This record gives sequence, C-alpha cells and structure tokens, in this order.
Amino acid sequence: MITIKHDGCIFCVGCSSVCPKNAIEAVGTRMEHYPERCIDCGLCAKVCPANVITLHKGVKDVSQLKTQNPELETQR
Amino acid sequence: MDFDHDIIVIGGGPSGSTFARYCAGAGMDVLVIDKRKEIGIPVRCGEGLGAREVVAQGLELPKRCISTEILGAKVYAPNGKAIEWKDKTTSGWVLERKMFDKWLCELAVDKGAKVHTYTRALGLVKEDGNIVGVRLSHGGRDPYEVRAPLIVSAEGMESFMAREAGFKTVHSLYDVDTCYQYEMKPYDHENLIELYFGNDIAERGYVWIFPKSDRKANVGIGIGGNLTRWKKNGVDGADPKVLLDSFIANNEKLRDSSTLLDFGGVISVGAPINEFVKDNFMVIGTAAKQVDPIHGGGIALAMETAALAASVVIEAHKKKDYSRASLLPYEKKWKDTLGKKMAKRLLLRKVMEKLNDDDLNYIFKTITDKDLNDTMDGKFAGPVAKVVAGRPQLLKVLSALIS
Repeated sequence: MITIKHDGCIFCVGCSSVCPKNAIEAVGTRMEHYPERCIDCGLCAKVCPANVITLHKGVKDVSQLKTQNPELETQR
Repeated sequence: MDFDHDIIVIGGGPSGSTFARYCAGAGMDVLVIDKRKEIGIPVRCGEGLGAREVVAQGLELPKRCISTEILGAKVYAPNGKAIEWKDKTTSGWVLERKMFDKWLCELAVDKGAKVHTYTRALGLVKEDGNIVGVRLSHGGRDPYEVRAPLIVSAEGMESFMAREAGFKTVHSLYDVDTCYQYEMKPYDHENLIELYFGNDIAERGYVWIFPKSDRKANVGIGIGGNLTRWKKNGVDGADPKVLLDSFIANNEKLRDSSTLLDFGGVISVGAPINEFVKDNFMVIGTAAKQVDPIHGGGIALAMETAALAASVVIEAHKKKDYSRASLLPYEKKWKDTLGKKMAKRLLLRKVMEKLNDDDLNYIFKTITDKDLNDTMDGKFAGPVAKVVAGRPQLLKVLSALIS
C-alpha cells in the first residue's frame, strides 16, 4: 500500500489521474487512499510532483504499516 | 420516467461551465456539480489562453480574469539561443485562473444553469442497465440521488464517473507530464511566453515562464511522467521540482526572486480517449484527454469542445433522444476538426522527444520565427525541409511529420 504525507500534498490530483484502480480520490480538501483497492503498483508515487507518496510494497493495511513503521502514523 | 433535470454536468471547470452555458441558453434544465468548495480553486494550471477561443464564442474577458496580455513568445534552445516572435495584436492572455473559472461558471448561471459546489458524485444511478442519474453528496453528508437523461463528465484529470461509465480515462505515465510551478516576483518580462528546451533543463518537456502582472511570472516545468531517474519514496520516478529549482538557481533573473505560490500537477499529453459518448453519457474536455500534447493546455480545447458538444446535445434534446447514436455527431465532428489538429500536435510531440540537445540546437540555428509559427500551426513541410537539408541524419525522425 501507499501512504500520503498530507503535509506537503499540493492537492493536484495527479496521483488519482494515473491510478488504474481508483484507489486515490480527492475528497473534501485532501487526497483519500482506499488501501483495499491498491495493488502496490507505485504509479502514483512515480508521478507525484510534490513527492509526498511513499510505496510500502507488500504491506496490506494500516495496522501492519504502523507496527513496522511507527513514525508513519503521523503521515496518514 | 421522472427526471429532476435535463442534464447533470459533473465538474464546473471551463468545459463544464461552457457546455452548461450553451445548453441552458437553449432552454435546457442544467445542473452543474463541482466537488471543490469554490469554483476555480485550487488553480492547477499555467494559466495561458489564446485569444481566439474567447473571441470565437463572443465573450469579452473582464479585467479581473486577466493577469496580463501576451504579445508573443521566445523559445530557447539548449545552448541558450532564442527564437522570438511577436504579434502586432494580443495573441492571448495569462489569466487569473480562479477568477476566470468562476466568471465562466457565472455566465452559465446567468443563462439559467444551476450550480452546486462542494458536491461530489459518488456513483452513477442505473435502471435496467441504463444510466439515469448520479448519487451525490454535499460536503460529505448523506448521499442523495439526482436524475437526468444525460450525464456529462467534465471532471478533468480525475474523471471517476467517466471511468464508472466504462471510459478509459486513466492516464498512462508515458502520456502525462508531471509539473511543478511557482508564481514568482520580481521577474521583469516583456509580455512574452518564454520556453526553455534541453535534456538537462527539462527531459522530455520544457521550462516555461508565463508573464503576469506587476513584475510577476508563473515559472514552471513539465517533464515526462515515465522518467525514472530520481529516487523517490520507495520508487524510481520523475521529480520535476528538483529540475525546476536547479533552473531557477542557474537563472540570474530568478535566483533571488520570491515565490508567492507553489503548485503542481499532472497533465495529459497523449491521445484523446477513443470514444466520447455512450447511451445517456458523454465526456468532454480534459476528462476526455482533449488536451494539447505540446503545451498541455486544456482551456481552449475544452471551450471549443464544449460548444461543439452542446450543439449536438441541443439537437438531441429536441428529439428527446440521448442514445449513443443521437450523441455520436459530437464524437464524429470532433474527430474531423479539433481531433485532426490535436493528432498533428501529438505527432510533433513524439518527434520532439526523439531529438537530442545537438539536434535541437541545430534546428533552432536553422529555422526562423516564421518556421516555428508554421510548425505550431501544423505546417511542417517547409521547416522540415530546411532542417533536413543541413542535417540529413534527422530525416528518419522528422519524416514522420510529412508522411
């Protein structure tokens, strides 16, 4: 799955425009990620002009992510 | 069947608002929804617009929408040599895009369209397999259904409803540029659009400086979305900001200037989607990837497309027939007119990305401002002949333009 560091996101929806699985969407005032749809392709992270998306390959949900990287909690 | 409106337009940008203006003006009941809190914000754009489209639609831009007028362009080769051309009259404007979008939207309201902001489309409503409406949410509150016999996606880059309707609107990395831009001040300009080419400056793209009022400028960069030479977070990808910052650091006029606004985005520089219409549904503007593949501009094409699509819908409305067959003239007319122009620009983009810096330097040394103008107009034969005469090794690449 991916994480989006919202502090730094410029809300350009570029990630969403290249996501083949509709797994990122602009909702309200921020980009929302739907991990259950994410296939770890990393395309969003590759094009993100603000460089705020991190790909955690093979990680399926947030709890697993937080166990492995406690510091990421603040980024969600 | 009971409908709430004749048309629901998803997205209140230039294409949605222009489309709504024409349809409402012809007496149709049009609802425009936009998920942003305020029409026009955030701005995700270089803000350039040619004069032609505005004049063609009989519009006069209010002063508040214009930052400054553009008198021409100056294009720099990798070695710094520039070709400059100036028009006697205004060739276009750099807009205050947030004012412009809101103004266009208000014009639609003046014609009788209804606009709702902060309203997101959650999904399409279907009955017996037919699209009959959209499920909406205002500000994240409880969903509700609104019904119309025609749904128009003017959703821009995201285009979730178009995807749900079965259109292939997801972008491939090869067919996008990833961009970063600052609004900067001071920058003393001559009201020319400046473009800087070179593989070190902006691989598969360029740096632009668009003049704005009061010694300001939009300074931005777009590079190929498929580039992978930067280590990003867990992936190798494209990082336009790094290149832009380095361009600014190396530019005497910008090095010490302030930034007033950061923004960026991903723009479509590929082919349009294959089809624009289905029963009870159509796609217009950037959502249909109707974006200029050379400069990534979408406003002009959006406005022209919206007018064309609206003329077809107004006829369809008279017959109360919103089937694919009834809407198909929009697709056909587009492909015969705007689509042809866009195909030439796409060809030019694909040829340009094969050229190295030496090639570009040679081309800029050889061609004149008129040649450059012709090239931008899709008249390739003259300039190509000139270049190939002195650099025959380019024949293979450039011949794609004249075959």
